Amino acid sequence: MQRHLIMQLARLGDLIQTKRLVLSVAREAEVHVCLDHSLVPVARRVYPNAVLHPIHAHKKPGISAGEAAAANMPVFAELRAESFDRVYNLNYSGLSFALSTLFDPDSVRGYRQVAGQRLRDRWCDLAFRWAKERRAAMNLSDFWAHFSRDPVPAAEVNPQASPKGGGLGVVMAGRHARRSLPPNVLAPIAAALWSAGGRNPLTLLGAAAERPAARALRKDLPPAADAAVTDFTGKTNLDELMDVVAGLDGVLTPDTGVMHLAAHLGVPVTAFFLSSAWAFETGPVGEGHVVWQAVAECAPCLESEPCPWDIACLRPFASREFLRLAVTMRPERAVDGLAGLRTAFDELGSTYEPFAGEAPQSEDRRRLREFLAFHLGRRDAPGAGAAVLANRVYCERDWMTRPRRTAPRRRMLRYGDE
Amino acid sequence: METNDMRRLRILVVLPLYGGSLPVARFCVAALRELGHTAEPFEAPDFYSAYQALSRLKVTSDRLGYLQNSYLQTVSSAVQAKVESFEPDLVLALAQAPLTHQTLKRLKRDGVPTAMWFVEDFRLFTYWQSFAPFYDLFAVIQKSVFLEQLEAVGQPNALYLPLACHPDVHRPLELTPGERRKFGSKLSFMGAGYPNRRMAFRRFVGRDFKIWGTEWEGDHILEPLVQLSGARISSEDCVKIFNATDVNLNLHSSIQADRIVTGGDFVNPRTFELAGCGAFQVVDHRQLLPELFAPDELAVFHSVEEMVEMVDYYQGRPEERLDMARRSRKRALAEHTYAARMQALMEFAAERLNGWPKPKAAVGALADLPEDLARGVSALLERLNLPADASFEDAAHAVRSRSGILSELETTVLFLDEWRKQYG
Repeated sequence: MQRHLIMQLARLGDLIQTKRLVLSVAREAEVHVCLDHSLVPVARRVYPNAVLHPIHAHKKPGISAGEAAAANMPVFAELRAESFDRVYNLNYSGLSFALSTLFDPDSVRGYRQVAGQRLRDRWCDLAFRWAKERRAAMNLSDFWAHFSRDPVPAAEVNPQASPKGGGLGVVMAGRHARRSLPPNVLAPIAAALWSAGGRNPLTLLGAAAERPAARALRKDLPPAADAAVTDFTGKTNLDELMDVVAGLDGVLTPDTGVMHLAAHLGVPVTAFFLSSAWAFETGPVGEGHVVWQAVAECAPCLESEPCPWDIACLRPFASREFLRLAVTMRPERAVDGLAGLRTAFDELGSTYEPFAGEAPQSEDRRRLREFLAFHLGRRDAPGAGAAVLANRVYCERDWMTRPRRTAPRRRMLRYGDE
Repeated sequence: METNDMRRLRILVVLPLYGGSLPVARFCVAALRELGHTAEPFEAPDFYSAYQALSRLKVTSDRLGYLQNSYLQTVSSAVQAKVESFEPDLVLALAQAPLTHQTLKRLKRDGVPTAMWFVEDFRLFTYWQSFAPFYDLFAVIQKSVFLEQLEAVGQPNALYLPLACHPDVHRPLELTPGERRKFGSKLSFMGAGYPNRRMAFRRFVGRDFKIWGTEWEGDHILEPLVQLSGARISSEDCVKIFNATDVNLNLHSSIQADRIVTGGDFVNPRTFELAGCGAFQVVDHRQLLPELFAPDELAVFHSVEEMVEMVDYYQGRPEERLDMARRSRKRALAEHTYAARMQALMEFAAERLNGWPKPKAAVGALADLPEDLARGVSALLERLNLPADASFEDAAHAVRSRSGILSELETTVLFLDEWRKQYG
């Protein structure tokens, strides 16, 4: 049996969004995953059949760069000795490029470095081009899945979401503050959904850094809701976190790793996407989840740039109208500046269908997805507007040179390479 | 700690697309590395075949000119990109290096110092007038009038930097009998068939005389003496020819057939290369030759008649040839190596360029590494021919340039480099 390595050096959310690729690769090869040490507990449970190769890829207190490098070296030796038939290098980062030098460049898909030159596959090149227009996007999980020849259907990745009986979980913050609802905005929403959901336990989730936010939230909760709170912020390791999330009826969350964890566990997600978060890029995967997507003119923005509009995309979440909408989910209660989206699937993977309000540029997105589906050999015709997209997404280099031999078979057929 | 260390510079050497300055450029790269610097060549010759293809298009000359200029702009942009990623302390270009006005302006705007070593005759190759002002430093192989003219066109930082030899290549060789038969003769000349040479060498027809090199076509008298059908001779084979020949003729080129010994100023590379090989040469008088070699180090002639006399004289005196060749080699190794030239150029840069080289954070390759890893990296530095006190950045650069599947140690060095960039 072949052995394939998937290198995923990013964070929790990315590791779980790699699941569609892992499942796809597992159909033809023994799967190995190279990841950061800190994520091993999650990886063991999400990918129980994969061979894990943990390294130090994230900076942690108490370990110097040299110590991290020294600790990694034996793992590098082990990876090199494995002589993998294929390596999927998923991250566009210096660390991943460096790591790719352990392998035969012809075996590496995604990003690789050859004699100092950083190279990316044509599939990645295309993504860089279409992603310039972020609103017309493809889910990251599906993008990575298509590094494999024949990805499993997106609908098979996660179980259908259903309540598990343990009440409502509230994720206090993501890594990027602007993408999260502040406690005073989150509290009334959490209280309303807690109340509508039968006043079951209310569980606060987050890292130690989120403890002050949890305390602030509790101050803004009605006493009855506060009495139902169990505050786990900073008190769980990843194993315990998974156990807690696995028993919940639902999770209220910004775009976080816990959100993807909940989707993996089949726990219904209600997600708030604002600022730089865009559901069509990194929304939850699976049937039965809801995303409240801010659709301000400027969304999605860049987290690294200051907001000149005083985070206008946050305002709809703070309105009384949104509380009514969040509880009733009725389309006629739609709120300006927000789209309620339900997770769904198409031939390419995960989609997000509006049920309240309108998702901007739905038509552009649909066309891009049709265009990409044709590119990937999943449709027989390119769809409307293909010529315009082809001009934007394809460039001279694609037309005039052949893709690498390691490109997925169906795409190679499209280029007449085999 | 920030230092402006002159010992560990990063230098991008922009090679020409082709031609006589190409080997000189490669010797510069080797010499800079020998001096402990991190020298990276920009491999312009890789782009030459496409440039040549344009000239086979059979299109109008206007169109061809446009295409060639556009292509050279692209190549020059590639140099710019290389500068951005390599972040050199200095960009050193050799004559005919593909650096356009636009790129030179951008480099100046970005504060990247540039130097040109113009290893050409300024009277024949006059385009320097347009390009010299755009370089920060301009090294030349001629003196006096040229230095003044450079000042007049707006280049105040001109340096006289004669050519040289590279002792790793230009050295005495033990040749096999087969090589002696192939490359050896009593008298030989290695070089292109310029008019003055064609006239001069007719005197030696009928002798054991071999002519090597290109552009001898159409000379019915000399053509039978031309070896390998006038093919271009590699640097390695040149050295074999020099070593296998009793008397090497060295006549500086001239396009004038009526003035065979021109007494020009600059000294050609062959003079230094022959000296480096410890090969005996009979060379024509040049104005700048006396300050480079003493009269007992080279046999110098001033006329064709004297050339013939000297050849006759020395062909019967192997001991004298050997003594003179030894002395010229000693002088060449002491003063006329590319390493010495590069050292002089770097010192000139430090003198003329304000605040050069820019201070940079210097982290030793072994700093802050656990003992085992430090030992491994130390051995790796040795394998990479880097000094033990090389910076981590230079070690990572050397590893990055390696092709094929890297060892776990090499990958660890690259990973650590990226870690430091990402996390500080």
